[in-house]
Amino acid sequence: MYNFDYVRPSSVSDAAQALSNNTDASLVAGGHTLIPTLKQRLAQPSALIDISQLAELKGIRSDGGNIVIGAATTHAEVAGSADVKAAIPALAELANGIGDRQVRHRGTIGGSVANNDPSADYPAALLGLGASVVTNRGRYDADSFFTGLFSTALHPGEIITAVHFPIPDKAGYAKFEQRASRYCLVSVFVAQKSGGIFSSGETRVAVSGAGQNGVFRVAEMEQALQGNFSPSGVSGIKVSSANLMNDMHGAADYRAALITAMAERAVGAASA
Amino acid sequence: MKLAGEKILPLSQDKVWSALNDPKILQDSIPGCESFETVSENNYRAVVAMKIGPVQAKFNGTVNITDIDPPSGYTLSGQGTGGSAGSAKGSAVVRLEPAEGGTRLTWDADARISGKLAQIGSRLVESSANMMANQFFGRFEQLLAGEKPSDAPVIVSAFLPSWFRIAGLISLLLVILLIIFLMR
Amino acid sequence: MTAQGIGAAVKRREDFRFIKGDGKYTDDINLPNQTYCYFLRSPVAHAAIRNIDISAAQSAPGVVAVFTGADVDASGAGGVPCGWLVTSRDGNPMKEPKHPILAVGKVRHVGDPVVAVIAETLEQARNASELVQMDLDELPAVVNMKSALQGGSSVHEEAADNLCFDWELGDQAATDAALAGAAHVTKLDLVNNRLIPNAMEPRVAIGQYAPGTEDYTLYTTSQNPHVIRLLMGAFVLSIPEHKLRVYAPDVGGGFGSKIYHYAEEALVTWASKHIRRPVKWTSDRSEAFMSDAHGRDHLSHVEMAFDADNRIIALKCETLANMGAYLSTFAPCIPTWLHGTLLAGQYVTPAIYTNVKAVFTNTVPVDAYRGAGRPEATYILERTISKAAQELGVDQAELRRKNFIQPNQFPYQTPVAVVYDTGDYEPALNKAMELADYAAFEQRRAEAKSRGKLRGIGVASYIEACGIAPSSLVGALGARAGLYEAATVRVNPTGSVSVLTGSHSHGQGHETTFAQVVADKLGIDIGNVDIVHGDTDKIPFGMGTYGSRSIAVGGSALVNALDKVIEKGKKIAAHLLEASADDIEFANGAYTVKGTDKSKAFGDIALTAYVPHQYPIETLEPGLEETAFYDPKNFTYPAGTYICEVEIDPQTGSTQIVSFSAADDFGNVINPMIVEGQVHGGVVQGVGQALMENAVYDDNGQLLTGSYMDYTMPRADDVPSFKVATLAGTPCTHNPLGVKGCGEAGAIGAPPAVINAIVDALKEYGIDHIDMPATPEKIWRAINAQPRMAAE
Repeated sequence: MYNFDYVRPSSVSDAAQALSNNTDASLVAGGHTLIPTLKQRLAQPSALIDISQLAELKGIRSDGGNIVIGAATTHAEVAGSADVKAAIPALAELANGIGDRQVRHRGTIGGSVANNDPSADYPAALLGLGASVVTNRGRYDADSFFTGLFSTALHPGEIITAVHFPIPDKAGYAKFEQRASRYCLVSVFVAQKSGGIFSSGETRVAVSGAGQNGVFRVAEMEQALQGNFSPSGVSGIKVSSANLMNDMHGAADYRAALITAMAERAVGAASA
Repeated sequence: MKLAGEKILPLSQDKVWSALNDPKILQDSIPGCESFETVSENNYRAVVAMKIGPVQAKFNGTVNITDIDPPSGYTLSGQGTGGSAGSAKGSAVVRLEPAEGGTRLTWDADARISGKLAQIGSRLVESSANMMANQFFGRFEQLLAGEKPSDAPVIVSAFLPSWFRIAGLISLLLVILLIIFLMR
Repeated sequence: MTAQGIGAAVKRREDFRFIKGDGKYTDDINLPNQTYCYFLRSPVAHAAIRNIDISAAQSAPGVVAVFTGADVDASGAGGVPCGWLVTSRDGNPMKEPKHPILAVGKVRHVGDPVVAVIAETLEQARNASELVQMDLDELPAVVNMKSALQGGSSVHEEAADNLCFDWELGDQAATDAALAGAAHVTKLDLVNNRLIPNAMEPRVAIGQYAPGTEDYTLYTTSQNPHVIRLLMGAFVLSIPEHKLRVYAPDVGGGFGSKIYHYAEEALVTWASKHIRRPVKWTSDRSEAFMSDAHGRDHLSHVEMAFDADNRIIALKCETLANMGAYLSTFAPCIPTWLHGTLLAGQYVTPAIYTNVKAVFTNTVPVDAYRGAGRPEATYILERTISKAAQELGVDQAELRRKNFIQPNQFPYQTPVAVVYDTGDYEPALNKAMELADYAAFEQRRAEAKSRGKLRGIGVASYIEACGIAPSSLVGALGARAGLYEAATVRVNPTGSVSVLTGSHSHGQGHETTFAQVVADKLGIDIGNVDIVHGDTDKIPFGMGTYGSRSIAVGGSALVNALDKVIEKGKKIAAHLLEASADDIEFANGAYTVKGTDKSKAFGDIALTAYVPHQYPIETLEPGLEETAFYDPKNFTYPAGTYICEVEIDPQTGSTQIVSFSAADDFGNVINPMIVEGQVHGGVVQGVGQALMENAVYDDNGQLLTGSYMDYTMPRADDVPSFKVATLAGTPCTHNPLGVKGCGEAGAIGAPPAVINAIVDALKEYGIDHIDMPATPEKIWRAINAQPRMAAE
């Protein structure tokens, strides 16, 4: 990698200040995408601002109808959290299936969400649960946060501080791994809540790994599940392969078939 | 790798044509274009900074335009090198024609990516190409409507020739830039 | 059998240091005043080099030297040599184009080293490499083997048609006649997918030159340091053996990829003299993907003929074998003498004919990878027999049984040159069927069906030729070196033993198994035995470790040296015990006079040898150290049967291996636990090839699977707990231990077992073959009859 300055701020506001002081600086938390990129010399940041140790970004709490997870909380912490397991077991399961043990002990939810890799797990949970992303400047609904391939609504210098997950009545997650990387070839997060907390309906179906523009919802499946929350409710629904990713691990038509299969399984897991 | 695409711009051909001859609009439409200069007739040099996810790469590209057939299209060929990221080489046949609801732009490109980008970035080539195309046309339409493009500002330093050349350049850059990514 | 001797499941002694991080690997070696080398490699598959401008790099901070192919050429250095000559069927020798250390004139594959940048630090070398301007004139890349032979672009001028050799073995007329008159012929086109070795430790090389003595040292990650010394010293750099030490300390896996002499080794050694400083190069993983020799990559057409009684009467096989851009050290031998000779398998096949065309392409060179030619041959045979069973409507296990060579037919001369010394194949088939509960399979298939899953079972009966040797034979077949092994047993004055072996351990556990042989023969504790390997300054000579040859060849040399030690000890004991040497017996660590209780411990004899106060000095030299070279009479022929059971999810196409049973005849076994571990590792690699691993090049010769993001390695949770039985078997008849070797069996037998199981599971869809790797998408497409649209 090329040389860079290393900055360890003592607070989020320090981190924000450091970001604005260093043109071309990068935040780093778990670093699981950034560090390999640096090793390949595919990025040359002037400074790395390490927010992984900031206490105000860490921890999980139950807050009314929400599970609130600090941005620098690791996947292993989410997977092992009694609060998460009790309130949204599908979320704990999702976190427990990211990468491998080493990755889960370094990688953070904030880093994953900010990176918005089209094959990452967390975006499906955020969109599927109608979560909110809280930053040092404001708050975004998941629906408006993920804006495309590796892009989000975050402004330059903006720092994610926490993710708020509404607690659903039931939720399920099913992932079909890309065998080499174990990222999602296709994954589907399904959630239902009778209280009407979700802005656009009672049932949500979010797909990761498949869309050319990253995570997306499947309205037709959501409507079908609204009336019939069972695997058979989605088994006949095929998503168009027009905007799906196409690579050596899965052509678009195969991914489309997997979306239906994973949706069935996510619903089955949620119903169990 | 073969890439093909088309876009219908909801504007009359005249309006598109004049806008396309406005170098300012065209330059502003290219995300990350840092410079564009004429080396000789039909021979240009461009610098485009890319940022997708954590990957940053600056591509130096040269473009040669041949088979110019105004106002229907041409072929361009060129190559771009992104330092240690790798390089790209390709050609694109670009066509423009009137269509229902506006003007249809089509491109048919053949691209070859070399080096690190090919070795570790193959999974997102197609998605990136589409993203780049959408960014370009989105910005182009915003500029035509008198809006400021929503993406980060770009620096434009040189005169740009006709729409065709720019559209061609864009196609080439798509080809060059497609690529990228995600190594972890 | 003692607790530590031959046959004991002694825990691997070396693992304590590896697990604790106390291993000493080549990259752990850092020499005073050392420099770092970074290789700038070709980013394209095929191009003429117009110009290379290194001037900016030369003046970059920290740079010591920048070398191109022109510099190496000007020094008179040779190219990287090939160690095996194959002759075409028309009698002409194979095409053997020069393989320069750094590219000259052309680059021929992505990863071909072009410039060596040497600097004070690795980062400075990398920074400077970015300042090198390579002006390349790209040429059409030769990627696909079939089109490579149809003209167009040539990888080498010396082989305009890209054909390296066109080789044949067997009786073509008899084979064609049998095929023409057969009751049934099963035909199959097979892809043996290209694999990337992925040893845990990437390659490292450090060159060091001592101006005072004009000695060179190469520290390197090698499976055979003496071979490297021979090849690099004699063919590349003209350094006589006594001035060149090659040292390969702990090596973290090889699987074949560290057999070969690589350009990087030669460059760092060469450069260390030019700059008069040590030069170190450490491959990173991305570099390993495009510079370590790849494995397999065959395309084959097979025809197998049966008579009306379902007996195999002929086998014909035409293969295209990818050599890559240059001939790696043993590349020509793999698809020929290690492949064609195994096409009889375990079966009586009266007529066999095979033709192999080796093809140059603009890809990484291809050479031996765990199994080396034998997995390809086994895949051909075992896939074809199971397909035949499906076509003939008979059980795949019983069709094999019917055609097995019978115990009374050994030694068995096959129609493809080799003679199997011994074997008995039915016990392994029976044992594997028992472990797999083969008889109850259809119930399990029905139960799976009730859950919506497709269950299949696959059988594969493999044979391999191990212990690659007889020098006289391999010499006749084209080897440019002998293939024997050497061992020195140095008994120290206190009775402890140092073994200097030409075999090399890079994961096999020699420090345990070889010590067990010594403990068994000398009756001493293995704690008193040290196994020394990997250093040409210490070991008398050696051909190294590959082809499952260590215990069969290196172990035999060790036994012979131990016998010499024991014999000399008898003379010393006879003197001390005042008896005739003919009356001295040695057992359990003690010399005794036959029929008496007069006895001397081995340690006493050792001490006497070095403190010869009371010694037959007029007839016997002091000291107790013996060396033996062992050159076997034949290969060894391990064999066995593997049975794989899979369950396929038809909705996604994903395959789960639910059961894997292995029954092997390795002859005698030194350490059953290590043998079982070798089977486990081999099977996982075989499963990897069958289900996951695949090196993918695009049409321009770019390697698309250049990282673990896209190249799928098998992992622990991809396989079940294996059921492994090592049979008492049929000991090898021609080596002193009766051993055959076990290192590659798993990788040889597993791929056809897995694919046969998958095809069996899918047969209700009318599917009769699926190519490796059988990825979920491929299986989903087969089930849904959905061809993949050409997206790229």
